[in-house]
Amino acid sequence: MDTLADTTLLSLDALSLARGRADVLDNVTFTLGRGQTVGLIGESGAGKSTIALAIIGLLRAPQVALRGSIRFDGVELTTLPESEYRRLRGNRIGLIFQDATAALNPCFTVGAHLAEPLSRHLGLQARERRQRSIELLESVGIGEAALRLDAFPHELSGGMQQRVMIAMALACDPQLLIADEPTSALDVTIQAQIMELILERVRARAASAIFVLHDLALAAQVCDRVVVLYAGQVVEEAPAAELFADPRHPYTRALRACSIELGERDALVPIPGAVPGLEDLPGGCRFAPRCERASARCAQTPPLVTDGTRRIACWHA
Amino acid sequence: MKENRLPVFSVLDVEKRFLLRKGRNGPVELRALDGVRLDIEEGSSVALVGESGSGKSTLVRLLLGLDRPSDGRVLYDGGDLQQVLSRDRARFAREVAFVYQDARGSMNPRFTIGDIVGEPIRVHRLHPVQHIPQRVSELLERVGLPPSVAVRYPHQLSGGQVRRVAVARALAQQPRVIMADEAVAGLDVSVQASLLNLLRELVAELRVTLVFVTHDLGVASYLCDRIAVMYLGRILETGPVDAILQGPAHPYTRGLLDSFPRFDRPLRAPLRGEIPSPVDLPAGCRFAGRCPCVQPRCTSSDPVAQPLPGGRLVACFHPLSGQSGPT
Ligand SMILES: Nc1ncnc2c1ncn2[C@@H]1O[C@H](COP(=O)(O)OP(=O)(O)OP(=O)(O)O)[C@@H](O)[C@H]1O
Ligand SMILES: Nc1ncnc2c1ncn2[C@@H]1O[C@H](COP(=O)(O)OP(=O)(O)OP(=O)(O)O)[C@@H](O)[C@H]1O
Ligand SMILES: [Mg+2]
Ligand SMILES: [Mg+2]
Repeated sequence: MDTLADTTLLSLDALSLARGRADVLDNVTFTLGRGQTVGLIGESGAGKSTIALAIIGLLRAPQVALRGSIRFDGVELTTLPESEYRRLRGNRIGLIFQDATAALNPCFTVGAHLAEPLSRHLGLQARERRQRSIELLESVGIGEAALRLDAFPHELSGGMQQRVMIAMALACDPQLLIADEPTSALDVTIQAQIMELILERVRARAASAIFVLHDLALAAQVCDRVVVLYAGQVVEEAPAAELFADPRHPYTRALRACSIELGERDALVPIPGAVPGLEDLPGGCRFAPRCERASARCAQTPPLVTDGTRRIACWHA
Repeated sequence: MKENRLPVFSVLDVEKRFLLRKGRNGPVELRALDGVRLDIEEGSSVALVGESGSGKSTLVRLLLGLDRPSDGRVLYDGGDLQQVLSRDRARFAREVAFVYQDARGSMNPRFTIGDIVGEPIRVHRLHPVQHIPQRVSELLERVGLPPSVAVRYPHQLSGGQVRRVAVARALAQQPRVIMADEAVAGLDVSVQASLLNLLRELVAELRVTLVFVTHDLGVASYLCDRIAVMYLGRILETGPVDAILQGPAHPYTRGLLDSFPRFDRPLRAPLRGEIPSPVDLPAGCRFAGRCPCVQPRCTSSDPVAQPLPGGRLVACFHPLSGQSGPT
């Protein structure tokens, strides 16, 4: 399996995570190749951010009950000591969150934010740090970079703050970038610029990325593969183009049918019912109570079956 | 026949300036609205779109009479809004309903849903007091909620349910106009879809006039029949949704449309940079600094809105013609 190890950067294998009585993730399995981008989509509460936090080791035992495996570049992360995790985070794994205001410390300048990973992980001295920080800001499209180093986060627009966070995430040339709804709070014009920027940086480094997105069309545009999650489980996974051209899981179809496309006038079809609470999940297929194709068979949990380039968990697909 | 009727609202060259304290040489003025003209016809549904800071909420506040223009006038039924308000504020408040983005924050947490939806009926004396519970049940059912939620409190409902309650409360006052500011933002796709369907049905069924502020052009095109594109305090383009989507006339409109994620096209970022601060408006066209089609004239004089066929207006010296799409 050497070739697999070579092309695979990250693999989640049967990852389950429980917070108290809530089964937040159940048997989540997917792999991410080097140079690949994968999207995580699904309604609120599906577990997308939980997956991101589990990968970067911010959700670990004993805080949560974790089973299964997360391997990153050949190293098992679930048992990795915190001291070693700290060497990965912000270094070989970069992070971008939705809310830059919450992620940036209002008391520190932009320069101080960028200096932190550069000194901690790369051991750069003040002069080199400054030089590298300016290059980083320029690389994310921030003009007058030398001046901006002295700015505080609140002096920047939302889009600019997001760019600073991207610069921080990219500071140490990560092999993996995790971006949790990086543009949900921004205008479409800024979203397009930021996503273009992230993709360009990721591709230039042949790095990999995980994008948590709620906009399906955006996922189609920026992801090589897309994983559809429902109530903590993977229900379908496929190359992005295939998934949206021909969604097979009834949940993927339903999501597609209630997403607006520009100029769309045909009635949207909402998904009946609501996402189940994690304390009282239905047995069998978790989507069955809301599914138009549900039958008696759906009382059994459908296995995630590989079909060509696609994986799907549905008795009727 | 519609053409002969007065618009419900006419916005006539409205300016809204805010004084900011900071600035080395005394107070600085911010122009949130700068020469806005807009007619809102009875029974129409108008989407106000544009990037953050373009002045959408400020315009809605003026239409609601919550704020006064610094210059220019807002007419309601052909009469000056300030006079309408001083003559009969209660009637205007009954006729024009507002749905907030922060639906939960707009509700008193100690009131039951029944109290919240019933309040406009009581305040405006629309039904005898003893009929209010019945009317509240009907309204809740109309927005797709079980009448049993009437005894619950706002914190006991989900985000989507609370938004429905806000719509029910707006309907309770039997409005002629509903204004909504980002009323479906931040919801899951499915919840958003059902709320949009509800609003679309209500607009068609009750013939209510809708003014809908949204960041989302998809939402605008789904819900509304007209669109007004704002930028830095001015409306740059307005017209029927379909015509604008098929052939935007203003380069800014095209930039917005082309930035919108689509299944059938690769990612593009046609507009560079950000909306500048409304403190120092540029001399010529306010969009010139980001415009891909800028010409010398655009940086010296400010284009006024010109009519185009099909009930459209565009404020551009070099309006685009033809289809939107990769250029
Ligand atoms: N601190 C917590 N304690 C207990 N349960 C939690 C906690 N944080 C999240 N959860 C639950 O875990 C589940 C998954 O949450 P997660 O944040 O991963 O969802 P998500 O897919 O990222 O949703 P969203 O689209 O809203 O960001 C949810 O049901 C949520 O209620
Ligand atoms: N009370 C105020 N005092 C000072 N400036 C204000 C005030 N209200 C609005 N502004 C400014 O006026 C401009 C327009 O703001 P407005 O809230 O109308 O924009 P918007 O289009 O609704 O934006 P968003 O999409 O972010 O809601 C912004 O630059 C804003 O900072
Ligand atoms: Mg999340
Ligand atoms: Mg606003």
